[in-house]
Amino acid sequence: MPFTALNSRMVEARIGPGQRLFSQRGAMLAYRGEVSFTPNIQGGQGGVGSMIGRRIAGEATPLMTVEGTGTVMFGHGGHHVHVVDLTGETLYVEADRLLAFDGSLHQGTMFMGSQGGVMGMVRGQVTGQGLFTTTLKGVGSVAVMAHGGVIELPITPQRPVHVDPQAYVAHRGDVRNKLSTALGWRDMVGRGSGEAFQLELSGQGTVYVQASEEKL
Amino acid sequence: MTGDAVKAKNGVMVAYDGQMSFKKMTGGGEGLRGMVTRRLTGEQMAVMEVKGHGTCYFADRASEINLVRLQGEKLYVEADNLLCTEAALRTGTTFTGLRGASQGHGLFTTTVEGSGQAAIISDGPAVVLRVTKQSPLQVDPGAYVAHTGDLRQHFQSGVNFRTFLGEGSGEAFQIRFEGEGLVYVQPSERNTVGGEV
Repeated sequence: MPFTALNSRMVEARIGPGQRLFSQRGAMLAYRGEVSFTPNIQGGQGGVGSMIGRRIAGEATPLMTVEGTGTVMFGHGGHHVHVVDLTGETLYVEADRLLAFDGSLHQGTMFMGSQGGVMGMVRGQVTGQGLFTTTLKGVGSVAVMAHGGVIELPITPQRPVHVDPQAYVAHRGDVRNKLSTALGWRDMVGRGSGEAFQLELSGQGTVYVQASEEKL
Repeated sequence: MTGDAVKAKNGVMVAYDGQMSFKKMTGGGEGLRGMVTRRLTGEQMAVMEVKGHGTCYFADRASEINLVRLQGEKLYVEADNLLCTEAALRTGTTFTGLRGASQGHGLFTTTVEGSGQAAIISDGPAVVLRVTKQSPLQVDPGAYVAHTGDLRQHFQSGVNFRTFLGEGSGEAFQIRFEGEGLVYVQPSERNTVGGEV
């Protein structure tokens, strides 16, 4: 079921029988109809194995399952909410940025360090995201939270995109990311521009960038 | 403004042109009885009266402002969320029952009555949701800002054994609105007792 944006910080989801939705715990603002909220101890889909995987990877955020018939409004902490509609591709996003997503999407955890070797490890440290990220695959909608408004930048093989690691929100498609440095002697003598590290995304897809360099 | 007055929360004026005078109204400008009631109910508002000729601008902590036009009906709003009202509007306090405690606001709320405009503030842009007899609405106590119209509210809880195991869904309490009216909901949740479980 698609999410409809009520304003920049609130989304509404229509839910019917047999459908379900996962959302961050406590992110419901209001609802109509008969809807139940059950805490999801496993933190998502995929049984106990996936749950342990997520716990180890530090990608376990408390989620709840939303079921029933009616409309539910979500929002959290006054953060901006961006709706991403997936049509079969994969979305890579930090688990704590997920506000709500369709129950039909396949959720997984991915090791980001495998992309780009040692630099991949450094990337996790610089962005403060750690080595793992959550993946969502399939057909459905995802509501992602960001600090400030979000823009979508297309990535094509001819045009890689460089993003400030702190302003990076999520990306989708077949995208490789690597951390590029622009450290020069100026940084060493304290005359850096404050843009020493960038995330270089190349391939085919879209990257979501927030208007702030603050984490959630 | 042309010689008339506006009641506003203390210290929310950001700019004005023309001639303005600001006067603190002790006890919310409701007389001695109103003052005592407010003290007792914990719904104290530090209110000032702005009088004069010209334009006055109000804002508070960069929060979002929603204008509500009242035509004789009653607006229920938390004292913290009320920015300013026209002087023609009467303010008062009412008992809200149990739900107030879960909202972190106490057991009483402020009412605004009469004809004119009132400005309410919310953390992030608020949405106005219509409640009809056929479609009641449940709202997270932390996201509730204000409501108007003929609404009955009661408190419902979804506390079960999971809550006590520390695995609650974070949605243990809701306010259920029934009847005809409008509810203002903000996209952020205040820290409430109910939000923790």
